Amino acid sequence: MSAPQSVPQAGSIEALFKRRGWPVFDFQREAWAAFAAGESGLIHAPTGSGKTLAAWGGPLAECLNAPPNRLSYLWITPLRALANDTTEQLNRPLAALGLDWRVATRTGDTSASERRRISKQPPPALVTTPESLSLMLSYADSRQRLGRLRGVVVDEWHELLGSKRGVLLELALARLRAINPGLPVWGLSATLGNVDEARTALLGPTNPGRLIAGRMPREIQVDTLLPPSIERFPWAGRTGLPQLPGVLNYLQAARSTLLFTNTRSQAELWFQAIQAVVPWPDRVLLHHGSIDRKARAEAEERLRRGELKCVVATSSLDLGVDFSPVDQVLQIGSPKGIARLIQRAGRSGHQPGQTSRLVCVPTHALEILEVAAARRRIDERRVEARRPLAGSLDVAAQHLVTRALGGGFTEAEALAELRDTHAFAELSDLEWRWLLEFITRGGPALKAYPGFQKVKVDGGVFHVPNRRIASLHRMSVGTITADGHLQVRFMKGRSLGQIEERFITRLKPGERFVFAGRLLTLAKVKDMTAYVRAASGGKAAVPRWSGGRLPLSTLLADAVLEMMDEANGNRLDPDLKPIAELLELQKERSALPAPDRLLIEQIESREGHHLYAFPFAGRLAHEGLAALLAWRLGREAPQSYSMTVNDYGIELVGDAPFELDESRCRVLLSPLHLEPDLLRALNAAEMARHRFRDIARIAGLVFQGYPGRGKQMRQIQASSGLMFDMLSEHDPDNLLLTLARREVLESEMELSRIRATLERARSQTLVLRQPGRLSPLAFPLWADRLRSRVSSEDFERRVERMLATLEPGS
Amino acid sequence: MKIELAGHQLELLPDRAVWWPGQEAVLLADVHLGKDQVFRRQGLAVPVGVLEQDLDRLELLIEETGAKRLIILGDLIHAPPHPDDDWPDRIGQWRAELDHIEIDLVLGNHDRDLSTWLHQWQIDGHETLLELDGMLLMHEWRPRLPAPGLSGHLHPGARLKTRREQLRLPAYLLDSSPGREHLVLPAFGRFTGLMDEVEFPWDRRFVTTGQRVLPLP
Repeated sequence: MSAPQSVPQAGSIEALFKRRGWPVFDFQREAWAAFAAGESGLIHAPTGSGKTLAAWGGPLAECLNAPPNRLSYLWITPLRALANDTTEQLNRPLAALGLDWRVATRTGDTSASERRRISKQPPPALVTTPESLSLMLSYADSRQRLGRLRGVVVDEWHELLGSKRGVLLELALARLRAINPGLPVWGLSATLGNVDEARTALLGPTNPGRLIAGRMPREIQVDTLLPPSIERFPWAGRTGLPQLPGVLNYLQAARSTLLFTNTRSQAELWFQAIQAVVPWPDRVLLHHGSIDRKARAEAEERLRRGELKCVVATSSLDLGVDFSPVDQVLQIGSPKGIARLIQRAGRSGHQPGQTSRLVCVPTHALEILEVAAARRRIDERRVEARRPLAGSLDVAAQHLVTRALGGGFTEAEALAELRDTHAFAELSDLEWRWLLEFITRGGPALKAYPGFQKVKVDGGVFHVPNRRIASLHRMSVGTITADGHLQVRFMKGRSLGQIEERFITRLKPGERFVFAGRLLTLAKVKDMTAYVRAASGGKAAVPRWSGGRLPLSTLLADAVLEMMDEANGNRLDPDLKPIAELLELQKERSALPAPDRLLIEQIESREGHHLYAFPFAGRLAHEGLAALLAWRLGREAPQSYSMTVNDYGIELVGDAPFELDESRCRVLLSPLHLEPDLLRALNAAEMARHRFRDIARIAGLVFQGYPGRGKQMRQIQASSGLMFDMLSEHDPDNLLLTLARREVLESEMELSRIRATLERARSQTLVLRQPGRLSPLAFPLWADRLRSRVSSEDFERRVERMLATLEPGS
Repeated sequence: MKIELAGHQLELLPDRAVWWPGQEAVLLADVHLGKDQVFRRQGLAVPVGVLEQDLDRLELLIEETGAKRLIILGDLIHAPPHPDDDWPDRIGQWRAELDHIEIDLVLGNHDRDLSTWLHQWQIDGHETLLELDGMLLMHEWRPRLPAPGLSGHLHPGARLKTRREQLRLPAYLLDSSPGREHLVLPAFGRFTGLMDEVEFPWDRRFVTTGQRVLPLP
């Protein structure tokens, strides 16, 4: 690596850091030099490795040279909960450098008075969120306010990548680039398998930029906590609480531990369990994204001061600012992905560059396999990719209205800005026309939306003349993050955090539930708040948050198959010794799958006839595959099947024997007609309707106002489901409906993964077995009692069937 | 689905209306005509078409039952018409084709500034309730009514929940307690939502799939 050029004033930055005992690394110097040269780029490294200073040093050096007198720097963070911490961190070096200004924060949490102050006297640098940035772009004077920028930093870019918030930010950045020619934009990201693509998504398809790799820890060590008795270790299961004794040993042995779980409900369970058993229950704390910011800040502070022995956490700690390192990191269950594993392991160890250590705690036998596979991939330094979204017309529609509000736009300039983003580089003329018609007329056919008003065109300029519509739009700008959350507060007022509406609506006042590590009774629900009281004892419901479980990544799945192949050829990886017998049993009773062997089992039980297939494509793709198989089977002989999936495979249960031979299997697994078959197999209409909730809100088809706020508000309350029905019936070619269907296939079903699986099956050997009894691989599928039925039945039959098996309290 | 309400034979129809053979009348509630227009004026892109659809459905109901009378239990419209709106005239046209039947409207909270239009549409408006053969027909139920009756306003829906799935359907709510029997109708209009939790002491519920009316266990 060439020596970085010396940068005016960087010397002072470096000198200051040295005086403070903050280390300075080469990659930081490289970033500062690049910034000084006016370049853009992406800095990628595990969290907490000096990335923040790498991005901030450049602007600081510039300020020493040329004091800023306008809003000059934007620092964009994905979580508004983190914004204040970030601001603090950015402010730390300012006084010491002799700079007399401070970074301010502007997010959804910022008070109106503070926002006015920021407007009247813009600070030189502002920490903000993608949503607040969009809001700033919606003001008529946005061009003046944001037209003298000297740099933009996007923090935690990997978190935004692959989501619609990322798309919204891409559009906002394109606008900033348009009004600030040559603007340096820098992204900070965790380790990713597709850094090039991540950079393109950040900077736009035609803008060059650097890739700077931060420090990687010298070594990452992954250990497995094995249960004392492998024979009695379950073949299936999820909480992992049987491993509690082993975990407690680890907790006792270290000064501080971070215990990661994959879901928030698991976190709540483990927290309760640990607290109940250790002699230091007041030194255990719970930390997850739904917990109140003050409580989270407290956890971070106490950990910093060394007061805590153990923090139980979920991905809320994957993000974020300098969280002081702990002695050891434990991971309950498989991390499901390498990148996650590396991020989490990086939290351990007090010296920078030291070995990162993580102990995996498998919750069932097959997870031992996954952990071993993860270890293998880490050694190879291979990490998953996070693919950016493209073509989200709902976000484009929202952004265009924002632009119309924020000073107006002409067709040519707006189209140029859109095509300057990765997300809309391929926007077709048809889609562009549709977008313009959607925001000006409601839709393409002139007659279909009489009386619609939103954006008007005057002399080629698109703008929003109606003030009421303008204010409605601003109120809903950026409502991309999931809705339907209620505050949880004690009756006496203290807030505990946020919980999904869906969970609370299932509870009646007086019922108990566990949240934020406490046992609570629901007192009442009013105004989007759930009021609670502390409860003592008794059975309680543990909230299950949706979106908790990521499927097994392709990277890990392939490694698992490799290892099973080796086991088959008597080249068992030493890490797998504990489950050697289990693998032997699978081989004996049935067969071991491999990268070139697709295993299919058929057995009969009292319940019916079972078909098992093990493509190892991850849970989401399997849901689509299972529906596809069931539908294709049902085409030949009408029948309905029960289906269950997990990360390894699929189970179908029917009343008649499957009687599959190799040629029939090949037909069932054919990649031909995949998309049309899949659409018919899934309850695609209903899934699209569900998917439409976000689309409707983002595109401004429904307004999530404050309920009951005046007669006018009440008059326009409608659900997205209702909108979906209206559009389906009266404007079926609406591109937002198309988007919903496409999202069902791509995001929910991982269509590309399904396609890849079927393509691969073509060249794989099909191994068909009739084991007579459940095999170890089949067992977890059979044991998972959550079964769904294939919906190729018509609506009437479905309702009648449901009426016959209603749950109590329906 | 035939039921009996305080000695009167009623039929709950799949398309969210009640047939009262004893009066040769069709009863329904909460049509909310013109709601799509209100939304479009506020920048929410609802396509036109639901008005026609609802009017067609009304026509079909009358044809299929052979009704001589249509009684609307409130909220015929969603908001008072704007001078530029087309839909009030469309209702007039539709009404003219059904000039052989009587149409009554018990005014609901959304039916405001309507007297001129009602006159034009040849619809009889009733302020709070319409009493017919001992039954009280009203828009919004309240407790301790002096006689049995029917109402709307609540837009009732029922949530069907099994282990794996969930569904919400429009519902008829029946309180069969002697002396205060009452039936709440689901909202007739297609562009209306469903409310799961309503303040009404029902003891039986019936959902409609659009093709059939089925009792809930």
